[in-house]
Formats: sequence, C-alpha cells, structure tokens
Amino acid sequence: MILLLAFLLPLLSIPLVYLVGRESKRKPAGIIAIFSIIDLILLLCTVPEVLSRGRYVESYYWMPMLGAPLTLFADGISLSLAAITLLLIFSSMIFASDYMEDSGSLWQFYLLMALLTVGLVGVFITANLMVFYFCWEFMLVPTYFIIGGWGYRESYRAAFKFFIFTHAGAVAVLLGIGAIYMLTGTLDMFQAKELLAAAPQEFLKWIFIALTLGFAVKMAIVPLHMWLPDAHSEAPAPMSALLSGVIIEAGAYAILRVSLGTVFPSISDVSVNVQMLHALSILGVISAFYGAMTALAEDDIKRIVAYSSISHMGYVLFGLSLYPCVEGTIGAVLHLVNHAASKGLLFLNAGAIMKQTGVRDINRMGGLASKMPLTAFSTAVSSFSIAGIPSLACFISEFFMFMGGFQVGGNNSLYYATTTFMIIATVFSLAYVLRFFWKIFLESSKIQEARDPSILMSTPMILLSIVVILLGVWSGPIIHLMSSAEIS
Amino acid sequence: MMGILDALMPSAILFIFAIFTVPVLRFIHQYKRMHYRSLCILWILTIFVIVTVATVRVLTKYYISMEEDPFKQIFLVSESKPILSTSFFIDSVSAYMVVVYLTTGLISMIYSVLFVGEKNHLSERYFALMLMVLGSVIAATFSGDLLTLFIFWEASAAGSCLLIIYRKTPESIDACLKYLVMIIMASGFIVYGLSIIYGLTGSLNFWAVREALISLPDKSLLIIAFVFVACGYAIETAIVPFHMWLPDAYTAATPSTSAFLSAIVDQASYYVLMRVLIYILTPPIILNWPLALAIFSALTMTVGNLFALAQTNVKRMISYVCVADIGYNLVAITSVKPLGVMGNLFFFFVGGMTTALAFMAVGILNNLGIKHLDDLSGTGRRLPITSLSLVIAVCSFSGIPPLAGFMSKYMVFTAAIEGGMVWLAVIGVLNSLLQTGYLLRLVHYMYAKPLKRRFCGIREEPKVLLIPVYMLVALIILLGIYPSIILLMIHPAAQQLNLLLP
Repeated sequence: MILLLAFLLPLLSIPLVYLVGRESKRKPAGIIAIFSIIDLILLLCTVPEVLSRGRYVESYYWMPMLGAPLTLFADGISLSLAAITLLLIFSSMIFASDYMEDSGSLWQFYLLMALLTVGLVGVFITANLMVFYFCWEFMLVPTYFIIGGWGYRESYRAAFKFFIFTHAGAVAVLLGIGAIYMLTGTLDMFQAKELLAAAPQEFLKWIFIALTLGFAVKMAIVPLHMWLPDAHSEAPAPMSALLSGVIIEAGAYAILRVSLGTVFPSISDVSVNVQMLHALSILGVISAFYGAMTALAEDDIKRIVAYSSISHMGYVLFGLSLYPCVEGTIGAVLHLVNHAASKGLLFLNAGAIMKQTGVRDINRMGGLASKMPLTAFSTAVSSFSIAGIPSLACFISEFFMFMGGFQVGGNNSLYYATTTFMIIATVFSLAYVLRFFWKIFLESSKIQEARDPSILMSTPMILLSIVVILLGVWSGPIIHLMSSAEIS
Repeated sequence: MMGILDALMPSAILFIFAIFTVPVLRFIHQYKRMHYRSLCILWILTIFVIVTVATVRVLTKYYISMEEDPFKQIFLVSESKPILSTSFFIDSVSAYMVVVYLTTGLISMIYSVLFVGEKNHLSERYFALMLMVLGSVIAATFSGDLLTLFIFWEASAAGSCLLIIYRKTPESIDACLKYLVMIIMASGFIVYGLSIIYGLTGSLNFWAVREALISLPDKSLLIIAFVFVACGYAIETAIVPFHMWLPDAYTAATPSTSAFLSAIVDQASYYVLMRVLIYILTPPIILNWPLALAIFSALTMTVGNLFALAQTNVKRMISYVCVADIGYNLVAITSVKPLGVMGNLFFFFVGGMTTALAFMAVGILNNLGIKHLDDLSGTGRRLPITSLSLVIAVCSFSGIPPLAGFMSKYMVFTAAIEGGMVWLAVIGVLNSLLQTGYLLRLVHYMYAKPLKRRFCGIREEPKVLLIPVYMLVALIILLGIYPSIILLMIHPAAQQLNLLLP
C-alpha cells in the first residue's frame, strides 16, 4: 500500500494545483513541494523492510492479459534515487516559486510539473517493464511543454529536439521490451531475468543492444548527446535542475536495472559479454572527455553546466561497465545520487545568477563573490563537488568507481587504460570548474549592481549545499542502503 | 437458442428508425426550431438506447453459451441445405466489433448533430444515412456467409458515398466519384473471386468454405480467387497501391463525415479484411500470404507517413495518418497470432477513436477558417481547449503512454516480433517515429509561433461542440491507463484463434 500511495500521490496533487494555481502564483509550487516531502516520507517508511529483506514489493491487478500486473518495488538503489529525486523536486519547486514569478500562465507550468513528478518517481519504483515504460514516456510530454513554454531563446526548437531524440530512444526500448515479452511471456523484471536464461542467445544480444541504445539517448552518451546542451540550457532553471538531476539519471538507472540487471546475465557467451562491457567503458571515457573539453570552451553559463552533465554521465557509464563488480556499480549509483544533488544545485545557482544579473555570458560577469556571497558559497560547494574535490559528494563515488576499475583491471587489462583515462578526465573537470568559478565570482567586476537572491530562492540552495556536504563527509548510511540491494 | 431475429435485431432497428428519422426531424425542424439540436440528440440517444438493448440481448445470449459453442451460426433456412442459405455468424470478435461501432457511432453522431445543426435543411437525411450505414456495417459484421457480407458491405459503401457528397462542393463531388469508381471496381473483383470460390467449394458459407478449402487438392484456381478477393477488399480498405481515394474523400467530406467514416466504416473494412484473411478464406495453412501482406503493410505505413509529412493541409495530413494506420493494422494481421488479433481488435477501437478525435478537432478549427499548417500558428493560446484535444490526438497517434494509442502500437509490434517478422516491427517502429516527427510539427505550430493577424478576432471556443470531442478524449485516456476494461473482452476473442489454427 505504501508504494502505491507514493506512486499515486503526485497525481492527487494535480487537482489541488489546478484549483489553487488559478488564483495564486506561489501556492501551487508549495503544494507540489509539500506533496513531494510527504512522498519522500512515505518512501522512507519502507527502509527498514528494505534493509532487512533487500527488497520491498507490492503487486496490484492491472493488465494480466499482457503479463503486466502493477508491480511496485523498492530496494536500496531505487529508494535512494527516488529519494534524491523527491528532494530535488522539493528544492526546485521552492526555488521556482520566486524564480518563475514573472512568467505568465503559471498554473499550467505547475500542472505540468505535477504531471512530471508522477513519471519521475514512478520510473524508479516499478518492477514491471510496462509500468516502467509508461513512466519513462510520461516524462516526455510535460517536459516538452515546460521547456518550450517557459524556456529562453528558441525554446520550442530545443524542446522539439529533446522530444524527437528521446522518443526515438524510447522506441528502441519498446522493441526490446516487446521482445522480452515475446520470449518470456512476462514483463516482470525479476521473473524475466530468470526466464530469459532459456531464451535463444542471438536474440538476447540484440535486445541488450536495443535497450542500451534507447537508454543511452536519454542519458546523453556521446554520439547521442546532441539534444542535451540545447534542452538543458534553454529550459527554465528549476526544470534544468530536474533534467540534469533526474531525467538523464533515469537513463543510467534503466541501463543498470533493465539492460544489465535483467537481460545481461542471460547472455552466456563470455566474449560477447566482455565486448559489450568494453564498448560501454570506452563510450564512457569518450563522453567524459568530450563533455569536459566542450565545457572548457563554452562561454554560456548554462551550457557549461549542461556539457558537464554529459561528462558526468560518461563517468556513470564507465562505472556501470564494471558490472558485476560491486565497487563499480555501487560507485555508479552513488555517483548518480551525488551528481543529482550537485548538478541540481549548480543549475539552481546558474539560474539565480542569471536572474539577478540578467547576463548569460560568463565573460561579462566577474567579481560577484563580494556582491552575492551566499550564491558564491553554494556555487563553490556544488562546482567543486562536480570537480571531485575530497570532502564533497562526487569525490566519494568517483573514488569508488576508480577503485572498482583497478580491481576489474586485474583480470581485464583494458580497464587499466580506461580507468587511467577517467582519472585524467577529472583534471579537465577541475579545469572547467575553476574557469567557471573564476570568471563569474573572482575576476575584476564588470557588473555594477547584483544582490543575493530572495529568501525563497536561497533556501533551497543552502539546503542542497548541506546535502552535498553531508553526502561527501558522511556517506556511510546511503552506501549501506545501496549495498543491501541485490545487484548481480 | 438464438434465432435469426436476434442477430438481425440491431441492424433492423437502425434501418427502421433511419426511415422514421426523416419525418421526425422534419417535424422538429418545422415546429420546434429553437430546440432543434437538443431534440435531435434526444432522438438519436433514444435510438441508440434501443439498439443497445437489442445488442446486449444478443451478446448475453452469446456469452452464456460461449464455452460450449464459441462460433455460433444462424441460418435463415435451416431445414434442407443450410450451407446454401443466408446465414449469420456470431463469435466474440464480431460481438466485440458491434460494441466498438455503437460506442464510436454514438459519439460521432452527437458530434455530427452539433456540427451540422439546423442550418442545412437536408440534415435529417444526413443523420438517417448515418444510421443506415451503421446498421449495414453491423449486419456485415454479423454476417455468416461471403455473399451476405458482400451485400451489406456494399450497402454501407453506398451510404458512405452519399455521406461524402453531402455538402455538394465541387471537391466532394470529385472525391465521391473517385470513391464510387474504386468501390465498383472492388466489388467487381470481389464478385469474380467469390464466383470462383463458389465453383471450387459449392458454398459461400464461412465454415463450409473453410472446410472445403483445407482439403482442396489443386490450389491454382484458389490463388486466382484469393488475389481477386484480396484485391477487392484491399481497395475498400485503401491499402497502398489502392489508397488514392481515401485522402481525397476524407479531405473533401464534412469533418463530421470524416470522423464517422474513419471511426466506423474504416475500422469495419479492416475487420472484414481480417475476417476474410485469417478466419475464413485462407488461413496460412491453406495459402501462405503473410509475407506478401507484410510487404504491403510496410509499403502502406511508409507511403502514408511520407505523404502525410508533405501535407500542409491539416485535414489531408490526418487523412494520410489514416492510411498509415491501415499499415499498422496489417502488421498485426500478418502475424496470425492471438496477440496480433488482440492488437488488431484494440487498434480498431482506439485507432478509430483517435482519427475521429483528430477529425473532430480539425473540424472545429476549419469552422473558424483554420485550414493549413500556417494558420495553426499560435492557436494553442487562443483556443486552449480545442488545441489540447488535438495535442492528445497527436500523442495518441504517436504512441505515447498513457494514451490508448500506445497500447495498440505495443501489441501490434510485439505481435510482429512474435510472428517472426522482426524487420516489419523495426519498419513499423521507425514509421511511428516519423509520424511523431510530423505530428509534433502541429504542436510546434500551435504553441511556438505567434498568432496570425487574420485570426485575432477569434475569441470564443465552441464549447458545446467540444463535448463529444472530450468524450473521446476521456475514453482514450481511460483505455490507455486501464486497458483491462476492453482487454477482458478481447482476450477470449483472441484465444479463439487457437481453435481455428491447428
């Protein structure tokens, strides 16, 4: 009952948002924020069960004729990702209540946000591929309208690109899911995993490729990344935070859960196995370098952050390619959580800076540290976390992944090379982060008037900064929660 | 025990009431002009309630004895030689189809009443014709031999002609002529094919033909007959090389006609094709047609979508989407698997509803003078409710959950994979992507571009006209979120296929 409630709770907020939103400009944001906190508490209620049994499952009648009951489940991984999602929704909604105040038809904006929440949470807590696909595609339409309707320059173009790219990916996923149903007669991830072992091998390989390809589009792995910089930089800041913090993470989660977790173990041919993982690993390295280097060359404040997302999805893909090594996979999932918090915060900061100064080009900023100390602090926390400075969130997870890389490298020497390259990539990360921070906050001042944002905008920034620091210095509990999940 | 009257009752009621519709509506028009629309809807609702009662009677009788007798045959003359007599045939597929026709028929007739209204004095004939077409489609669905099927099917085609020509604009006369020529050619083909089949088997009864064909020693004549019959029904279904009449007819017709035809006559033609191909005439055990049909299906999808991509007239674009939909339906037919039949039956309902929804929304826009893609610019803000319904139609066409279009596409493509035609599934999926691309262009125009100065005068949305539109929207969302409502009916129908295929 808990998970069903958690799944449907965002839907309940929709009529409220509609009723309140026509009169008030700020209240609907508050409603979504409150609902997401209640949702978070509901999800956390399952933690004891998850820790003791490894998995918490609920199943309801939905479409038994197509092998699709409404199965919801929570384990360490999905729970921590759903939790950070809800936290991010909470923060960005509080942020949006002030940030979005000048735009028109806000009730529609919040209505779409409430719709989006359903998909964002649902994608992490379902064990049925059909429900999963529903939630996966459910994110698409609200996101399209949010980016298009409330974005910046040529926003509908960016939204169009986003829609077509991710829908194309989803279509490949659909073929994969259809093939899994055809081979096993079930759409339950865990049942399918067992039944697939008896399926013909040549099919499995293609299912794996189709699924991974589809998920990689949403994750924006390099040859498929073209939609991301536009969509992320043209979306309004709260939406960018969710795009970079949750939506692309969902792609990585899906690769871990569906491609690697369900289909991959059944591929018995070892050489095919190794080839696939090598491909993932190399794609990860390419993404990490490409994102970091492009971020180094960009001048637009939001595009830098967007390209940094591509780079970090490269890290995660590298971590996933270490499957079934525990350090690597846990590191990748932990990196998802850490990156979600850090990058969400960084996008909120970028939005705050843009709103307070009205400038997007980082060359025309400078010296903001003394004028906006609070923003400077939270930007420092988030961007240095992105760069992988110890004691901040992303360091721990990167460290885990590199450790896993060297461990796997013992049997498979390619991983020595890719891990070394990943470590070199962190230097580039540091470079673009330092340039970003230097140009905006430290260089000689080019902007006369700027103040710290209002309390409504700065509260979520402070909150997320605390989360990022906490995740960096005290990550024991969340690692404990994640490692209770059954990975391979 | 079911008699011939039971099976004929729904259509007979529709025919009789269709005849009464003209004087009744004329009377209302003369004396109660103020309340013409509401009284008209009341009259149609009454007819539908009576038909629904009759249908429910047939269906309960059928479902009670479904277990022991899943394929129920009713003969007009059952004494001496039943296989030569006119007969009716009820199984769970035809039972389901009647439910589909009645649901979508009611909604599209309400729309027609509101759309055509009292302005045109011929409107009562129009509604009577719609009832006639609905009646003959239901009779064709229940028919038990190829001749009865042919007769009722041609009756509905003739009615459709008059529906298309209703406004008597030059384009509609032109389109109607094209349709007529094609239909007459098609019926010639079918009759020729049927005569060969009669010669081969000595009967036109579904079961007798089936039994005789399975044990047929020499198949060379059968191939000729098959080609003629399949071509004939392919023309009426508008499979690609024979599709030219459809876009013209649907573009030139009144939007309410297009909605009605696409929701009912189109779906009925797919049903007839499926019935003839899978169930009766030539299951793959007799003649191996799936591969040929798969090629036509790929062609139909691709051509439909490519032509739709090139259209600037919105209504014509939707008409080409109809052509593409035929391709998706064929994908499921080629699989000859229970899942494919499920997908087909679901698609008949949902595809019909979605095209009807699109035509209805476009009809409302047409009334305001918005015809081309350019004119759509900025209407999303000025006409939010109408545009939202078009957006929902677009999303359902593109197969985005939780709308019903997704479930139908999922089943269809999975069936293709199950039938061993992965290439067809891949082509279908790529087509679906292409479709998303050009349909999203509609949304892009509606929301991303500024309003044209010509349309700045538009203030009010026609609220009443939107009621049937939103009935369809509600059904599409409901069936998308919780398809089990319909799947409960479709599932046994699909399982019956296993009884037929050894």
